[in-house]
Amino acid sequence: MGLLTDPSTGQGKFVKILLKYYVHACILLYVSGVLWFLAIAYPNMNANTYFSENALLPGLVKSQFREDREASRYHEEFLDEMKKYPDSIPYPWLLAKFKQIGLDAYMHNFTLASPFNRKDKFSGKNVYGILRAPRGSSAEALVLSTPFRPSSSPHPPTEPSIAIMLAFAKYANKEKYWAKDIIFLITEHEQVGVQAWLEAYYGVTCGSENILDHGDLKGRGGAIQAAINLELHSERIGQMDIKIEGLNGQLPNLDLFNLASKMCSKEGVYQTFKNRGHFYTRKPLLEWWNYFKNMLTMMATQATGIPNGNHGLFHRFGIQALTLEGFEQSKATGSSRIWFVGIGRIIEGVFRSLNNLLERFHQSFFFYLLPSSDRYISISIYIPSVCLMVGTMFIKACARWFKMIETNSEGKNLETSAIRVDKIIITFLTTHFFGVLISNVPQFVAQYPTLSQYETNIKVFYPLLASVVLLTVLPLFVSIRHCKKSMELLNILAMLELGTTLICISMNNFSLGLFCGIISVPAALVINPSNCRVCSYFQRFLWFLIHPLNILVCIVMINTYYLFPEENLDVILFRGWDATMQSIIFSIVDSMIYGNWLYGVITNIFIPNWLCFWIVSFSVFKEGETIKDSDKEKKE
Amino acid sequence: MKLAPLDITSNIDNTITKYTNVKSTKILRTLQLFIKMSVKIRAAYTNSISTSRIIFTCLAAVIVRYYLMLSKYQTVIANHVEVSTPLNSWKRVSEGLYLISKNINPYEGDVLHETPLSLYLYKNILLVFQDRIHLAFITFDVATAIILFFTTKKFNWDLFVEEENNKETFAKDAVECFLKPEKLFKSSYYVLLTYLFNPFTLFSCVGYSTTVFYNFYLAVMMFCMVHGISVICGIFLALAASVSFYPVVLILPVTMYFKYAIKSNFKIIINLFSFITTSVLIMLMCTDFGKDFSYIRNVYGCILTVPDLQPNIGLFWYFFTEMFEHFRELFIYAFQINNTILYLVPISLRFRKHPFLLTVAINFIITIFKSYPSVGDVGFVLSVVPSFPHLFPFSQQGFLVGTMLIISTSLAPILYYLWIYCNSANANFYFGVTLSFAVAQIFLLTDLLFSQVKRDYMLKYGKNRKIDGEEGILCLE
Repeated sequence: MGLLTDPSTGQGKFVKILLKYYVHACILLYVSGVLWFLAIAYPNMNANTYFSENALLPGLVKSQFREDREASRYHEEFLDEMKKYPDSIPYPWLLAKFKQIGLDAYMHNFTLASPFNRKDKFSGKNVYGILRAPRGSSAEALVLSTPFRPSSSPHPPTEPSIAIMLAFAKYANKEKYWAKDIIFLITEHEQVGVQAWLEAYYGVTCGSENILDHGDLKGRGGAIQAAINLELHSERIGQMDIKIEGLNGQLPNLDLFNLASKMCSKEGVYQTFKNRGHFYTRKPLLEWWNYFKNMLTMMATQATGIPNGNHGLFHRFGIQALTLEGFEQSKATGSSRIWFVGIGRIIEGVFRSLNNLLERFHQSFFFYLLPSSDRYISISIYIPSVCLMVGTMFIKACARWFKMIETNSEGKNLETSAIRVDKIIITFLTTHFFGVLISNVPQFVAQYPTLSQYETNIKVFYPLLASVVLLTVLPLFVSIRHCKKSMELLNILAMLELGTTLICISMNNFSLGLFCGIISVPAALVINPSNCRVCSYFQRFLWFLIHPLNILVCIVMINTYYLFPEENLDVILFRGWDATMQSIIFSIVDSMIYGNWLYGVITNIFIPNWLCFWIVSFSVFKEGETIKDSDKEKKE
Repeated sequence: MKLAPLDITSNIDNTITKYTNVKSTKILRTLQLFIKMSVKIRAAYTNSISTSRIIFTCLAAVIVRYYLMLSKYQTVIANHVEVSTPLNSWKRVSEGLYLISKNINPYEGDVLHETPLSLYLYKNILLVFQDRIHLAFITFDVATAIILFFTTKKFNWDLFVEEENNKETFAKDAVECFLKPEKLFKSSYYVLLTYLFNPFTLFSCVGYSTTVFYNFYLAVMMFCMVHGISVICGIFLALAASVSFYPVVLILPVTMYFKYAIKSNFKIIINLFSFITTSVLIMLMCTDFGKDFSYIRNVYGCILTVPDLQPNIGLFWYFFTEMFEHFRELFIYAFQINNTILYLVPISLRFRKHPFLLTVAINFIITIFKSYPSVGDVGFVLSVVPSFPHLFPFSQQGFLVGTMLIISTSLAPILYYLWIYCNSANANFYFGVTLSFAVAQIFLLTDLLFSQVKRDYMLKYGKNRKIDGEEGILCLE
């Protein structure tokens, strides 16, 4: 019972060591956390991907797909048909084709009310066909989906994927071995369509009420186990990119990724992850740098919490999903292009493997990072980096706590009366209350009728900005900042909160948690209630830089600079500011439609937490003032 | 401040004082003490917390609860496995009530695990509150808090009186760990605050978990125990035991309390008698006078054999999901013995002089190891902890326990969501969190008990711990 042994009533050995070395320990832990993170991309630290689920039996059957002519014909017909419907999905043709092939074909209507003005409504249509499993009881289903993009869409076209989907449906319908329903889904309006369809399939609402009216589905299959989303930009595919990052940073099972990756290489298409294929080099540093760069790209996408394809919305429902994006141009030199036959066989291979699954995906990994498409870093390898960083928060909080107790027991006459626990808790709660208010600003502003003359972006963004800026003066109204011990306790509370939040976030979205940790932990380590002027100005300056809004502005500015390197500085600044505004609006909209929690977490937890530290950095006291305070209280 | 002993006997020998004190009635003793107490302490006791402050606190608690119950978060909270277990979810109760209204025996299925008596009570509570469930829950929760407040107030007073009586026996240099009345008498207000505003009890109340009523029984039982009302104490102990079975073991600490704190053998007998009579009566009522025993399988069978392995914050579900079926019986026995009687006797023997702490400790053990614990139970035991302010200087794990509780409490719902809804994490993650939650509670309990031991040691032998000239260390072995 070492832990429970009493080291007299005062300070134990452990505590003494802690008090003496905690600064060193914190720096050491933080640095080792960063180093660990840098190291995990090194090939010796991670492993080759492998199939964990035996039932998949990838690529074991001979591919029989031969409907390529059919696909080409569908493609031509569809292109013709699209001209008749310049802005919307040509649903009669699609329904007719599905029926012709022999599927149960249905249409799904949904309506989206604008989050900031409920009267503005947009409607859309999804078309889907269900191939009923000849050898099963329709208890399980697989989805093959593809987004429909009208010719006016800014995104690259996806007609070939609709053509190949129809051809594959035709082929699959003739086969007798399907034990699971296959749902062929063509969605409109990008992610909104998929979200509406999924919500209708499960009869739930994920975002705010009354925004996305998901409507009803007339036909359903079984429980969906996996989904493949196709985004083929051409009939000839020279490069196949696999996209996995989903909503809130969720990832599909690694086995599904391996499966898709294996099928692509089986058909001989140049297959990439984050637009990067295999590379071989003998220089270890260069190898590491390549892997690390690739991993960082993936983490950047994951950290935003925004799905980079329609697959990302399936994850929330426990459906493993990924997107196959095909490009005509290939980065690789001398690689061949595959035609509809090859694409069809990739799809066939994937679906026949999925058809073999006896249970839903449960083996392999759900939490991983990919430095390339054939290597992975599992949670047990990457989580220490964030734990080491977060550990510093707890260690510092612990050390500070014991230090406070120590000084308390030394100066008996001061007693604990100098610490106003109730006031600290009230301060703490007040900051969080303001956080909740901020998170509700957009909804409130949007309903306020007199503002309706302004543009949505302006009337939502500027009040938000104003309230965030106003909150920075909050420390001036906090009376306890004159008491050193109270500030110390508030500091400890804030550190505990930051640590816990970072752990919780990195469980959900490791990349976001790690980036937040890398940025906020060192700054939080610097913050201490101090009476040294220079120190406290430095702390304020540093902590001000870390404000979530500042970080967002920085990121967006850098991004803009890289996107438009030739522009002048003022143009970049203007564009960057505009983009910042847009990104905030989008994150609010995402939280309302899809239930993306990034905005909520930032406003409800990070900003209040930031405020707590901000208050601590504003502590003003003189040595010995605590005595006066306690004297005053005694008099009262 | 020091008491001048009035009895002639106490002047002669302290041990004799003890025995004579047993003979003299308690009221007389308190009266004597009141006269002898300095005015300051009495004022500290009576004016420690003003009534308006208590009312204000309760009002604030009511408002918070009411607001949460009417908000959209109510269903979210109620559906959390940490709040609602198969044993205490209101959904199942309303299902049972509905079945009864249709004249169907609710115990035929596997839905309801509440006793018929509880059902009958809920039915009448709903009648009284005219189907405003939230008001019923708020009323009982706030009542529990107030009862706990008075319980701990009395306990602290008794503690103080006891210590003032025994001051002669203490070591001379132990002055600094003597009770500080101004601090001690405030602690009951902290109990009230903790009960009303800690998130565990808050969520339990907002989530309509019937643990609220169970906590009420326990609180009344403790109140009567501390005030020496043995009849009602027995009745409420029987009620609590009929709901959750485990409180049966509390009969031992209660007996200890009547023996060592109130020092009345008569009350022990009365208490035992009322406990047994009430239990029998409850049994008779629940079985419809011996006609229908079906509820026993559904209530006590469910508690003892753990057939429903829905995850909760306890330790049973994971173990029994993972285990080979033929070991099940063995481990059921092992777990239940661990929960009920394994610690009962040793702890009772060691802490017989501190029967209130003993009661809390046994209740704590039940909460940690029971088959279907919920956060309501945890909140109840945690909120009694502030009533031991004299032990805090001796505790070592406060920070560690606090941090562990915070982390595991915030991680639990997240990992459950990832496991059940997103299908990406798995049972091991959630179990890891519940395990650390349990470890935190065990640390807290051990720390509390050990602090008491250390304090006793200090009072007896003083601060000096030199063994052969070197600093000695107290440790658990």
